Amino acid sequence: MLKKSLLGMLAGASVALVSGAAMAADELTIFWAEWDPANYLQELVNEYTAQTGVKVTVQTTPWPDFQTKAFTEFNAHGDAYDMVVGDSQWLGAGSTQGHYVELTDFFKQHKLNDVMAPATIKYYAEYPGGSGKYWAIPLEGDAIGWAYRKDWFEDPKEKEAFKAKYGYDLAVPTTYAQLRDIAEFFYRPDQKRYGIAIYTDNSYDAMAMGVESAIFSYGGELGDYATYQVEGITNSKQAADGLAMYKELYKYTPPGWGKTFFVEDNQAITGGLAAMSMNFFAFFPPLVNKATNPNAEGTGFFANPAGPGGQRFAALGGQGISVVSYSKNQEASMKFLEWFIKDETQKKWAALGGYTCSQAVLKSAEFQNATPYNKAFYDTMFMVKDFWATPEYAEVLDQLNQNIYPFVVGGKGTAQEALDATAKDWTATFTKYGRY
Amino acid sequence: MTSLDPRSRAATRGWSDLTIRNLFVIPTLLFLIVFNIFPLIYSLGYSFTDYAANRSVPWSFIGLKNYRDLLSDEHIWSNFVITAKYVIVSVSGQMVVGFGLALLLNRSFPLKGLVTTLLLLPMMLSAAVVGLFWQLLYSPSWGPINYLFGLGDFAWLSDPDAALYAVAITDIWMWSPFVMLLSLAGLSAVPKHLYEAAAIDRAGAWYTFTRITLPLVAPLLLIALIFRTMEAFKTFDIAYTMTTQPTAELIAIRLYKQAFQQWDTGKSCALAYIVLIMVLAITNIYVKYLNRVKER
Amino acid sequence: MAAVRSVRKAVLNRLAIAGALVAMLVFLGPIYWIASTAFKPKELAVTVPPTLIFTPEITPMIRLFTKRVQIQGETDPAAYAAAPWWEKRIYDGGERVLKVGDAVQLSQYPNRFENSLIVAIISTVLAVSMGTVTAYGFSRFRIAGEADLLFFILSTRMLPPVVVAIPMFLMYRVVGLNDSHIGLIILYVAFNLSFSVWLMKGFMDEIPKEYEEAALVDGYTRMQSFFKIVLPEAATGIAATAVFCFITAWNEYAFALIMTNRRAQTAPPFIPSQIGSGLPDWTTIAAGTFLFLLPVAIFTFALRKHLLRGVTFGAIRK
Repeated sequence: MLKKSLLGMLAGASVALVSGAAMAADELTIFWAEWDPANYLQELVNEYTAQTGVKVTVQTTPWPDFQTKAFTEFNAHGDAYDMVVGDSQWLGAGSTQGHYVELTDFFKQHKLNDVMAPATIKYYAEYPGGSGKYWAIPLEGDAIGWAYRKDWFEDPKEKEAFKAKYGYDLAVPTTYAQLRDIAEFFYRPDQKRYGIAIYTDNSYDAMAMGVESAIFSYGGELGDYATYQVEGITNSKQAADGLAMYKELYKYTPPGWGKTFFVEDNQAITGGLAAMSMNFFAFFPPLVNKATNPNAEGTGFFANPAGPGGQRFAALGGQGISVVSYSKNQEASMKFLEWFIKDETQKKWAALGGYTCSQAVLKSAEFQNATPYNKAFYDTMFMVKDFWATPEYAEVLDQLNQNIYPFVVGGKGTAQEALDATAKDWTATFTKYGRY
Repeated sequence: MTSLDPRSRAATRGWSDLTIRNLFVIPTLLFLIVFNIFPLIYSLGYSFTDYAANRSVPWSFIGLKNYRDLLSDEHIWSNFVITAKYVIVSVSGQMVVGFGLALLLNRSFPLKGLVTTLLLLPMMLSAAVVGLFWQLLYSPSWGPINYLFGLGDFAWLSDPDAALYAVAITDIWMWSPFVMLLSLAGLSAVPKHLYEAAAIDRAGAWYTFTRITLPLVAPLLLIALIFRTMEAFKTFDIAYTMTTQPTAELIAIRLYKQAFQQWDTGKSCALAYIVLIMVLAITNIYVKYLNRVKER
Repeated sequence: MAAVRSVRKAVLNRLAIAGALVAMLVFLGPIYWIASTAFKPKELAVTVPPTLIFTPEITPMIRLFTKRVQIQGETDPAAYAAAPWWEKRIYDGGERVLKVGDAVQLSQYPNRFENSLIVAIISTVLAVSMGTVTAYGFSRFRIAGEADLLFFILSTRMLPPVVVAIPMFLMYRVVGLNDSHIGLIILYVAFNLSFSVWLMKGFMDEIPKEYEEAALVDGYTRMQSFFKIVLPEAATGIAATAVFCFITAWNEYAFALIMTNRRAQTAPPFIPSQIGSGLPDWTTIAAGTFLFLLPVAIFTFALRKHLLRGVTFGAIRK
C-alpha cells in the first residue's frame, strides 16, 4: 500500500515538473511587495494582456520579506521572476552583481531622460551616480511626506492658545522648529492626544528614512556617495543636529511608539491619536478615504519642512522596474516595458493610483488636483535625496539602525556619539569592500 | 529497553526479525542522512570561508577566522545572553504551566475531550500570526492587556527591559498546551492500582506525587523538555514580528540578518555551528538524564 | 476519617475546576478575540475595551477571498447599484474588487490553503508512519550504536531553518524541486521525523514486550504482532505524534517563504500580509487565521479519544 502511493506521488511529481517547465512561454512575472500599488499595477497590466494576449502576473510578498525573497532568487540565478520592481537602494547590488539587465540603450532609444522626471532618473535608474548607465525604469515615485489634522489646526481656540504660547500663528509648518513646537503643543497624554507620529521601525529602512529626512533638511549628508568618505560628513554637526531633532520629536509620540512604520503612522491619524504623522506618499490613499479614515475630511498634507539653514529635502522612496538578467523572457519583458513607458499607459497608471514618474503627467493640473496630497508630492519630488545605493547597502543600513535606534527610542548617548559610531562602522565596512 | 531474541520461534515464520529491523530502521536513517547531512556539511564548509552569497568575487578559505571574530564580538555575546535568558524563562514557564494544567485535567469530567482540544488551540496558530496579534494585545493604545490590568501607558514591547519578557510570556502561552498534552498522556498511563496501593498505605499527597507520579511521567516530560528547549533556542518568528529592540534580539534573529540581509554566508554558517554545538551540549545532558531515568 | 478525606477531596475538586476555568480564560481568551474579530465590522476590530457582543457579518470573509484595491475618489453610483450584495459590502468599505473583464479576481488565499492541505497531510502521513516503524525498530531490536543514532536523529532538528535554507534552496534548484509540493513535503518529513521517532519510541518503550511474546507464542509472526498488538496499543502515541507533526507542517513559515513561489506557496506567509494598503485590516487577517485554524482543530478534535486514552498496563504482571 505504501509502495503504490509512493509511485503515485512520484508520477504526479514528474508531471508537475514537466508541465511547470512548459508554462514559461507567453507569461511574464513581475515581482513586487504586497501593497496597493502592486494591485494597481496588476490592473494596469491586465490591459496589456487584453491587448497582446501575454499574461502578466504581479507576484507579491509582504514588505519585510521582499528583499529576502528577491535576493535569494537573484543569488541563486533563478528565473522565477522576469522583472522586479526593486527599491532604489537595490540598484548598486543589482547592477554590479549582474542581476539587472542594463537598459542604457533602451533609455537612449526611447529618450527616457525627457519622459521621466530628472530626480527619478537620477535615483531610480542610474548607477553609479553620474555614469549615464541605467538599470531600471522609474515606476513608482515616492517620498516622505506628512499628513496632519487640518481640523485641529483650524480650530480657533487652538489657534489662540498656540499664538499665546509661541508667538506666531498656528499653520502648516515650513521649518523643523515649527514642527517641533506644534508637536509639543498638541502633546496631551491625559486627553490621549499626542503631537506627532514618526517612523521608528529598525527592521528595514523605516526609521532610517525618517531620520534621513531630518538630517538632509538640516544640511547634513549621509556621506559622499562618490568617494565613500564618511568621517566628518556622516557625523558632521549639522547631521547631529538633525538627528537630535528627530529624537526630540520622538518625545511627543504616542506611548509604545518603538516599532512603527506606515501602518502605525496611518493609524495615528485614523485613530485620532496624533496631530501630525509622517509617511510615504504611497500610503496616503487610505487617509482620504472616508470609509477607512473617519477623520478624512479633516486631514491635510504637507511636504517635509526645512531646517534652520533653509535647506529643504525629503527622503526618497519609490521603485523602478528592472529586467532580471536570469529571466528566460527578456525580449518579451522589453516589449512590455516599451508599452509601459507610453504616455497613455503612464496616464492610466496615474489614474489607477500609481505614482507615475512621467514629467508630462506630473505637471498636469489633472494630476495635481486629483488628490489632496498630489500637490505636496509634486513639490517633494524636486527636493528628494536618497540613501546609499551601494551593493553593501543592507549592511550599511543595519549598522545605522543598530547605532541610532538606542539613541532615538532608548535615549542612550548623544546624537553625536550615535553618528560617530555609525561613521566608524561605515568606514570599516567600506574598507572591507575595498572602496578606498 | 526491550529487545527480543531474534532466534525465537516465530522468527522462523514470516519475515525474520533481522529483516524487519533493517526494513524499519534503515530507510529512515538514509532519508535523514541525505536531507540533513548534506546541508550540515555544506554549512560547515562555508563556515571556514569568507563566502558571501551575493558577490561573485571568488571566496577563499580563512580557517577559523569567522569563529574567532564571532566569539570575540560583544554584540554576539549579548545575543547569546539574551537567548539564554529567554530559553530559561520561556521553557520553565511552559513546563510549569503545562504540567500544572495536566495535573488539573487528569480526572474524568464531562466534555473532557472538548476541553482538552480547546486548550490545544494556542499552539495550532502560526507563530507569525501569534506574534502579530499579541503585538496588538500588548499595545498601550489599542490593546486589552493594559486596559484589563490597569497598566495605563506601559509599553511592553517598546520598553528595552520588558520586551524580552513580553515575548517569553507569549511563547509560554503558545506552547504550554504542548507540554500539557504530553504530560496528560503520561499521567493517564500511570496505573490506578499504584495510587490505590499508596492510598491504602496512607501515603501523603506529596509522597504520591514525587515517588509515583513524577517518575512515571518523567520520560515524557523530559522529551517535552528536550524539544521545547531546542525550539526555544531557534525562536525567530514570534520575536521578529513583535519587537525589534536590541535587548530582545535573539540569536536566530541575528543569524537571519547575517544570512539574508548582509549575505555574510560564511560567517552566518559559523554562527549557526556555534549555536548548534551549544544546543548539542545542552541536549546531551538532558538525554543522558533521560536514559538514567528510564533505567530506574 | 473517610468524611474528612472526602471533604478535602471535594475542596480540591472545586479548586481544580476553578483552576481549569482560569486556564480556559487565559488560553482561550485571545483565541476568542481573534475568532470574533473575523466577523466584526472594521470599526469594532480594535476597540478598548474589546467588543464582546456585536452583530456578526461575513464581510471579512469576502475580503479574504477577493483581490481588492482602495477606491480613488467616489464610487460610481451606477456600478454600485448593479453590484451583487457582497460586492456592495466591499464598496462600503472604501474598496473595489479587481476584475478581469467581468470575472472576479480571487485572492491567493484559496490556492495557498489548498497547497497547505496537500503538503501538510502528505508529510504528516509519511513522518508518522516512518517514525513509528523506526521507533519500533529501536525499541524492540538491538541496534549497534543505538544511542548515537538516536542522538543523530535528534540533532537533525537543532539547526535553525534559516541556515539550512540556503544550501537546500540551491540543491533544490539543481534538482528542480524548487517551488514544488514534493520539495516542501520532503523538507517537512525530514524536519518532523526526529520528533516522530523520539515520541513514538517513548510510547513504544512503555508497551510491555510480554504482549508480543504472548502473541508470538500463540503463533503470530513478528509483523502480525506489530500490526495487531503493538500498533493499537500505541494509538495514543500515534495520535499525539500525528497532531504535532501536522501542526508543525501546517504552520511552518520559514521554508515555505524561501522555497516556494507561485505554484506551491502555502498559507502562513500570506495571512499576515493583509497589512499592505496602509492600514491594517485586522478583520481580514483574523478571518484568514480563523479559517486556517479550522482544519487543525477539527483534526485534533477527531483524534481526541485516542489522545486521552493513555497507554494501559495490561493484566500481565511481571
